[in-house]
Amino acid sequence: MVRRWSAARLVTAAVLGAWATLFWFVWLSGRTTLYLSGRTAWLVPLGAALATIAAVGRLLTARTNLDEQLDARTAWRAAILVLPVLVVLVLPPASLGAYAAGRRSSFGAAGLVTPDDFEHGPLTMIHIAAAETSIEDLGRLRRRAGESVTLEGFVTRDEGMPADELLLTRFVISCCVADATTATVRVVGVPPGVYADGAWITVTGRVYPLGDRIIVTASSTSPIAVPADPYLGAV
Amino acid sequence: MVATIARTRRRRWPIVAVLLGVPIGLYLLEPVAGPWLRTTLIVAGSLLVEAVPFVLLGAFVSAAIEVFVPASAFARIATLPRPLQLPAAAAAGIAFPVCECGSVPVARRLARRGLSPPAAVTFMLAAPVVNPVVIASTLVAYRARDTQWLMVGGRFLLGFVVAMAVGWVVGSRRSEDLLRARADEEDEPDDLGAGRARRFVGHLSGDVLFMGRYLVVGATVAAVVQTLVPPPVLDGVASLPVLGIVVMMVLAFVMSLCSESDAFVAASFVGFSPGAQLAFLVSGPMLDTKLAALYVGTFGRRFLRTAIVTVGTLTLALCLWVDVLW
Repeated sequence: MVRRWSAARLVTAAVLGAWATLFWFVWLSGRTTLYLSGRTAWLVPLGAALATIAAVGRLLTARTNLDEQLDARTAWRAAILVLPVLVVLVLPPASLGAYAAGRRSSFGAAGLVTPDDFEHGPLTMIHIAAAETSIEDLGRLRRRAGESVTLEGFVTRDEGMPADELLLTRFVISCCVADATTATVRVVGVPPGVYADGAWITVTGRVYPLGDRIIVTASSTSPIAVPADPYLGAV
Repeated sequence: MVATIARTRRRRWPIVAVLLGVPIGLYLLEPVAGPWLRTTLIVAGSLLVEAVPFVLLGAFVSAAIEVFVPASAFARIATLPRPLQLPAAAAAGIAFPVCECGSVPVARRLARRGLSPPAAVTFMLAAPVVNPVVIASTLVAYRARDTQWLMVGGRFLLGFVVAMAVGWVVGSRRSEDLLRARADEEDEPDDLGAGRARRFVGHLSGDVLFMGRYLVVGATVAAVVQTLVPPPVLDGVASLPVLGIVVMMVLAFVMSLCSESDAFVAASFVGFSPGAQLAFLVSGPMLDTKLAALYVGTFGRRFLRTAIVTVGTLTLALCLWVDVLW
């Protein structure tokens, strides 16, 4: 029996090919960090490989001896699947910012930083988040009070904050952006009116515990571009 | 003939218009619409980039079950006494370390191949909670907390029990009653005289097309809700025993997190009781916005109602006991 090209199968191959293209694009363009944490980054090459295999397989078996038609329902279903691919490819790369920070819970870092990590190496936003949620970690940070730190993040503010203060914020993700939580540190001594909410800056200063909060007294601040890896990993 | 071709072309125009219009519209609208649109698109895109590989993986396993595992294997399992089938199905979940999106196509295939519906449902619900990757991530998220082993052990045991309970409630339904009608199936008929490879590809691509559209809808709804629902006023309810647990289950439903990451988020709700955090960890991988869309597509609305009632009430009751005893 003669095999003919099936339009329905070709459309399915196109859908799978579109997803394969998306995964290859995300992987090769280095945009994985805009969607996934380092822990789950392997999903992108896996998705690229599986979608490519499926698309090629579908293409190689797209000729059939059955009488298959491409009905409107199948075409619409295929369109629903292709639409997110087109949206991701068309829109410029972006990461969560100040708007989302106000709608997310704080990162519970207690226990994720080992005592040894606290003793050695530079202090990071993760150390500070841990010290703000754990008395033990706060005690460890106290032993390093006054040390110089350099931190990167975007600007957010609490209502009624003095003009020379801001909250330096980073999102922490465990698997993907949907599980993002915030790590923030209060920075004092910044030039008033210079940085708008959402602006990415680097802050150099000294870190001090103040009660159960942590503050950084800024000695210098400067604007930076959004980093290629805007999210911190939870572990 | 000419009229038919013209009609077919006319029907395709709306699809082409949507495929061109929506991305271009979003491109133009995004800079002026405010940060909510950007946030929604980022979260939806992220959910899909993470979930689609698991759906693909699940579809590969599902197609392999259909083509390479003989029906007699499932017939043998089906002859086991019902009290043994459910624990065996839940225990099988330990060996399937994927997120919840991957377990749905596999369960659907298992039910179609003759595994009893209760066992297939039990496997589907248990696998994302009890698999070793999820247990390990829970262990890490609660590291150095005095509730660490309560969370790890509680999640495993409660996940096991709740999954079996839903399987038991599904009970006597036949797979034809549990799965949605044939009209909604995407599996194409096999080519005449098709070999295993052609059949494998047919079932694989059918599953991806079938599950994928529900995942797209579910991820979009989850992203919209996550972005637009006002920041929860949680502090007031955190210490209330019943309400705290209910709020955490609702949050788990809305947030639609991957079961391999949700422990890190649960651990951030320090004001909530251990029982409430456990409710988040147990109910989330079984019931969330994107899964609801997948369940309706695969099993129908009746199953979704059964799952909501059973998972909700049992998780609430068990987690209340956890708070009482802890």
